[in-house]
Amino acid sequence: MSVNNIITNDTERCNFALIGLYEVDDPEIGLNVVDLGLIYQLDFDSNEKKIDTQMTLTTQFCPMGESIQSNITQALSNAFPEWQINVNLTFEPPWDFSKISPEGREFLGH
Amino acid sequence: MFSPLMGGLQKTTDYRVVLPFYIYASISFVAGVVLLLLHTDIVNTNYFNPYTLAITHAMALGWGTMIIFGASHQLLPVLVEGKLHSNILAYLTFAFAAVGIPILVYGFYVFNIGWALQTGATLINIAVIFYLINVFVSSFNSKNRNVHTWFIIAATLWLFSTTFFGWLLVFNFSENILPKNSVSYLSIHAHLGLVGWFLLMVIGVGSRLIPMFLISKYTNNKTLWWIFGLINISLISFIIFKTLELSATYFYISIIVAFIGIILFADHCLKAKKVRIRKNVDEQMKTSLLSVLQMMLPLIVLIITLIFLPTKQHDNIILLYGFCILFGWITAIILGMTFKTLPFIVWNKVYHKKAYTGKTPAPKELFSEKIYNTMLITYIVGFVLFIFGIIILNQIILKIAATILLMAALLYVINTSKVLLHKPTKQ
Repeated sequence: MSVNNIITNDTERCNFALIGLYEVDDPEIGLNVVDLGLIYQLDFDSNEKKIDTQMTLTTQFCPMGESIQSNITQALSNAFPEWQINVNLTFEPPWDFSKISPEGREFLGH
Repeated sequence: MFSPLMGGLQKTTDYRVVLPFYIYASISFVAGVVLLLLHTDIVNTNYFNPYTLAITHAMALGWGTMIIFGASHQLLPVLVEGKLHSNILAYLTFAFAAVGIPILVYGFYVFNIGWALQTGATLINIAVIFYLINVFVSSFNSKNRNVHTWFIIAATLWLFSTTFFGWLLVFNFSENILPKNSVSYLSIHAHLGLVGWFLLMVIGVGSRLIPMFLISKYTNNKTLWWIFGLINISLISFIIFKTLELSATYFYISIIVAFIGIILFADHCLKAKKVRIRKNVDEQMKTSLLSVLQMMLPLIVLIITLIFLPTKQHDNIILLYGFCILFGWITAIILGMTFKTLPFIVWNKVYHKKAYTGKTPAPKELFSEKIYNTMLITYIVGFVLFIFGIIILNQIILKIAATILLMAALLYVINTSKVLLHKPTKQ
């Protein structure tokens, strides 16, 4: 299953999580992390109340990476207060233009 | 499907390490331009005079080097893909340089070849040694030494060569420790700093930052290695030709080699711009790209001088050459990159864990775009007018141009202060 190109095992909870994630911007670009395609995967474990997130950055050397990652964790914690949140960073596959949503592309002038 | 990140996330340097360098550099920029305004008559004299030396060192050390020190402490983790070795060494670098630079500039200004120049030069060398240790340990601790790391390592070695040679020249004024008088070595000392330190550092850092801020995936390490080789060969060949006192014809080799290196770097930046993901290029990136084109200006001046001008007219052309470097591409890239890096440092300090609320300003909103644009226009007008003033040797034009450049420096200080004094918005 996928929502907005994000692989997930629970579309309902994923849609709820996205409400918060749409508020997290990449500070340099000014576009939210969902439209930018930085969130690869959101897995919900309702038994253990645990969310495993796979995310990336536009570049491995992004000096704002730490801040973006902690803001994603915070946004998910706000949406699911009782849940354990794991946000893992990956650069495989690397982020590229194809990951950006049509709305994101319009925002970037394409 | 997704491989976990090996080696962890990029660690940023503490803002308290970096900000003093930015503050110091902005004050030095104003001081350097004020000295230029007070002594525009230097264009009629030989370049070896107290005021030219004072202005050159205020700009090269107080402005250019201090801001590169600050920015590189912040960006070193990004460039070497590791973390800064020591904050304490960075503080020591700042402390020794901050005291040493004004003493050295004062020493040149009053031409005190005794305690002032010797103390200033010694303190600056201590600062550079601390910086060198920090860069080396940070770089060699990193498992992945890329081409950018080697640019920084080489640039730092050239910086140490520059300041150590400068230290020898200062002591050579009073005790003959070198075979010839200090004036004979000035062009070697100057090029060690301008080419070895500034050019290599700006290319090494710029080749990573320019694509990154353009959101461009373009990279070409092979070209960057070629540039690295060409710039180093150009500098080493220049030192050899100068030491062997060969005829001016040989210097064309060094100039052409450097020119090819700069053209390759400009091409690298333009290719990165072409495949950028974000179509709108902001003014700060346009300024940085302008500085890349400005890099060619001093070399064009040199070629015209060697081909067309008789030797007796070389003095004011040397000043033009130095002006095109210090007030040209070095200043332009600092003007652009300050407002790409400083807002991020302050933003990270103030809003590190608040961005998810969606109510925080973007880093670019921490400074005034209007003041930036006005600063940029005044800078370009002042720069072009001053070049015109040097060519026609007109004091009125030089005074007007220096006043306009001072306006640009003051606008720079106002805008950097606005960023530095930024308070968090109420939520």
